[in-house]
Amino acid sequence: MAQHTVTMIPGEGTGPEICEAVRMVIDASGVDIRWEYEEIGLDCLDQHGTLLPDKTIQSIAKNKVALKGPTTTPVGTGHKSANVTLRKVFDLYANVRPAKLIPVVKRPWDHIDILNFRENTEDSYAAIEHMVSDEVAQCLKVITWPGSYRIADFAFQWAQTHGRKKVYCVHKANIMKMTDGLFMDAFKEAAKKYPDIETGDVIVDNCCMQLVRNPAQFDCLVLPNLYGDIITDLCAGLVGGLGFAPGANVGDNCAIFEAVHGSAPKYAGLKKVNPSAVLISGIMMLRWLKEEQAANLIEKSMFAVLDEKKHVTYDVGGTAKTDEYAQAIVDKMGVMAGK
Amino acid sequence: MNFTAEAIKTKKKKTAKLVGIDVYIITEEGIPQFKEFGPFKCEFISNRGTKVWPGYVSPDLLMVNWYRCRFMATKDIQDADVTTFLEQFGQKWWWSAVQKLWTYDGEAGYSKAY
Repeated sequence: MAQHTVTMIPGEGTGPEICEAVRMVIDASGVDIRWEYEEIGLDCLDQHGTLLPDKTIQSIAKNKVALKGPTTTPVGTGHKSANVTLRKVFDLYANVRPAKLIPVVKRPWDHIDILNFRENTEDSYAAIEHMVSDEVAQCLKVITWPGSYRIADFAFQWAQTHGRKKVYCVHKANIMKMTDGLFMDAFKEAAKKYPDIETGDVIVDNCCMQLVRNPAQFDCLVLPNLYGDIITDLCAGLVGGLGFAPGANVGDNCAIFEAVHGSAPKYAGLKKVNPSAVLISGIMMLRWLKEEQAANLIEKSMFAVLDEKKHVTYDVGGTAKTDEYAQAIVDKMGVMAGK
Repeated sequence: MNFTAEAIKTKKKKTAKLVGIDVYIITEEGIPQFKEFGPFKCEFISNRGTKVWPGYVSPDLLMVNWYRCRFMATKDIQDADVTTFLEQFGQKWWWSAVQKLWTYDGEAGYSKAY
């Protein structure tokens, strides 16, 4: 069995207790992982003068894979986002956000299985903002041809590898003809390499309306950063909320897997929150590491525990603590593996 | 009710002070290196919003031929200093746009790069 070294970044608020629960489950799956714990976020800013210490950067650069808990980002003022900093430093240009129905979560639909591919490094997130007068603020929306082409190419290749049939580009090129027009042109160019995959485009506002009326029609979506940020959360809402929304930030040589929810500091230390989003991100990580057997075992066991509803967290109608839910999954894994 | 007139009444005038410039340049020669230009000193260079100088740059980082170069003033400056800077700077570098950086009542009116 291959041994992997993974950088573990517990994050802030409820992040450490979530990550401990997730580590317990992953370690129990039989996969051989050596965890390297590193820090990120506001505490680092206070202690080291930076959100992202060099030691953390070096660990990720060496291991090429990391699992990360949530961090805190203030709104409007204050320090920059540690998450965005990580994506920028390692050029993790593809944010892969699956939205798939799972047991226990109430929903009005029978089928949702959408793969979102959000461009992760450009658009309004280029951090180029100016107060151009004392009453006018301006933010540059930066869209580049290579940045747009590679996320489309990445999405098509992922779709092809995973047996997906349709890849659509989401844009607002009817209004932003230069920026979103360039994004769509690059998408169409990349699509030429994949003649067996159905392609098309949808304007972002119409996409939102279609998603809440008939989400089953969508398969894979490729989105610029800002629309991707919004629509991936919309999709998370369709399948049960951020408590079940995993994410992967992927570059050509490095990948960081993380939940997309916040750090919920008011619940820190209470062991109350649902660790499923980080756990599902961990399952994505195991598949990335080609540990399919361990990933499947954890996934089936988690679904079974959720379906039984005996040991689930408060957000899905239960009373179990974070670690009790994780222990129930470990116990179920033992049963399923015939131990 | 005239909401436009009401909105205009809420405007708060602030005192602006010129403290630097963001110069956007196009070059195929990679990350530029600068000497000091009179009262301006380069603070950072970013590409697609990611800082590429000074500090760590991922060898995998996608860069395009368009750089934002932030020059901060090392002393009090006027608009004429910007004009002089651009005359000298433009002899070597092909710039596409310039944005003046102001503080407003002492608060920065510009973002930093990631």
